[in-house]
Amino acid sequence: MTTSLSTESPATSDLALGVAGLTVTFPGAGRRDVPGVVALQDVGLQVRVGEFVAVVGPSGCGKSTLLRVLAGLTPTGATVTGGAVTRLVNPAGGPATAWMPQRDGLLPWRRALPNALVGARIAGMDRAVADERARALFDEFGLAGFERSWPHELSGGMRQRLALLRTCLPGRPVLLLDEPFGALDAITRRRMNAWLAGLDLAGHGRAVVLVTHDVDEALLLADRVVVLSDRPGRVVLDLPVPRDGTQDARRTLLDALDPHGGS
Amino acid sequence: MLLVGWEVGVRLSGLPAFVLPPPSQVARTAVEVAPLLGPDVVTTLTEAGLGLLVGAVVGLLLAVLIAAFPLVADTVYPLVTLTQTVPTVVLAPLLILWAGFGLLPKVVLVALTAFFPVLVAAVTAMSAVDAEHAEMVAGLGGTRRHQFWLVQLPASVPGALGGLRVAATYAIGAAVVAEYLAGQSGLGVFVQRSRKGYEVDQILVAVALVAVLTGLLFLLVDGLARLATPWQRPSLPSRPGRTPL
Repeated sequence: MTTSLSTESPATSDLALGVAGLTVTFPGAGRRDVPGVVALQDVGLQVRVGEFVAVVGPSGCGKSTLLRVLAGLTPTGATVTGGAVTRLVNPAGGPATAWMPQRDGLLPWRRALPNALVGARIAGMDRAVADERARALFDEFGLAGFERSWPHELSGGMRQRLALLRTCLPGRPVLLLDEPFGALDAITRRRMNAWLAGLDLAGHGRAVVLVTHDVDEALLLADRVVVLSDRPGRVVLDLPVPRDGTQDARRTLLDALDPHGGS
Repeated sequence: MLLVGWEVGVRLSGLPAFVLPPPSQVARTAVEVAPLLGPDVVTTLTEAGLGLLVGAVVGLLLAVLIAAFPLVADTVYPLVTLTQTVPTVVLAPLLILWAGFGLLPKVVLVALTAFFPVLVAAVTAMSAVDAEHAEMVAGLGGTRRHQFWLVQLPASVPGALGGLRVAATYAIGAAVVAEYLAGQSGLGVFVQRSRKGYEVDQILVAVALVAVLTGLLFLLVDGLARLATPWQRPSLPSRPGRTPL
């Protein structure tokens, strides 16, 4: 159903994105005698082509930091050691990843369509091709008719979908999504997730890494769920999501997230 | 109230009209000299308008250079700030020596007054770019060049326009002062002629005119600024009847 999302990139290697032994330290409150905060410790993550991986963890466990490192963004002031990131070679040239921030990052001086084209412009896509693909995606993302709206005229859910559209449009093989619907109310969020589950974002030789703190969201969308511990973030569980019945997986995940809680 | 107080005060105190004429006389004079003021107003407005335009362009260009090249920011910006410690009026005789008695020195003087608020406002806006937007561009693989064209430059526009609004309030005043020193036509020349003839009522007409013209110029710049930044206008939901998710 999502033909317009397809990219021409074939799976050249099985591994889409990988990092090993990643440690990230933030300096302690600007004072030399205060020890730094270790956000991530010896984290490894492998994402294969066609995989949709969700990273869950409590607030402040460094899951957003992990995603930033994967996206090639250096967290400001942080020390990154180890963890050379290996990325799929993007056949279209340019970086293999496209990162979507937690807040939508829409530019207030661009209307919806030009905002969607920002990623394509950075990727150096042909204007006419990008324009055509954007219009098709506006339909698919339920944004048709809003091409000329300013970002402030759109609802929260529409803004997030527009930001996702901007991230998908350049056709980068690996999508990195940082709590794309984290700021939305519960009902809109459910609706967005149901819609996102039908998009097949990880198909056509692509891969997706989604960061979330919501176990149900992770189970609904991902093929595999990686659980990070409280700070310093370490991988404590790497669980494939069973196709039939996620009740057991849900309990396992919740236990891993909160080992001291419950009974 | 003020005008009535002025009228009554002048009549009661018996001040001669060449010191302070009552407002009724100023109004009469205004009607008398209005037909003669046309060319002077045109000259002053041309100087102010051109100067404002040149100042805005130069200010924005300098701001872009300062934002794009750290070296320029370190060397040129302090120097430019230093030039603003010299009042432009003091520079006027030099400008007249170099550029003659025509339109040019006045335009330069207005531009010198106008570019600084534009420059400062634009530089401030560009350095205060939202980290969220810069990261978004970087996360999509954008380079520094993309950052500049997609984020920094457009983000500076509202700031630069704010500076231009401030500059608009100075422009006509600067043009009039430049005409005091040398000029064949313009409101400044009119004021100087009136002063030599002790025609205080005519000077007051010019003062009122400068105030009105400055107000109009400000409204014009303000209107243009609004047109140039339509996203800042709070607008009604553009498509009623559709429920956004």
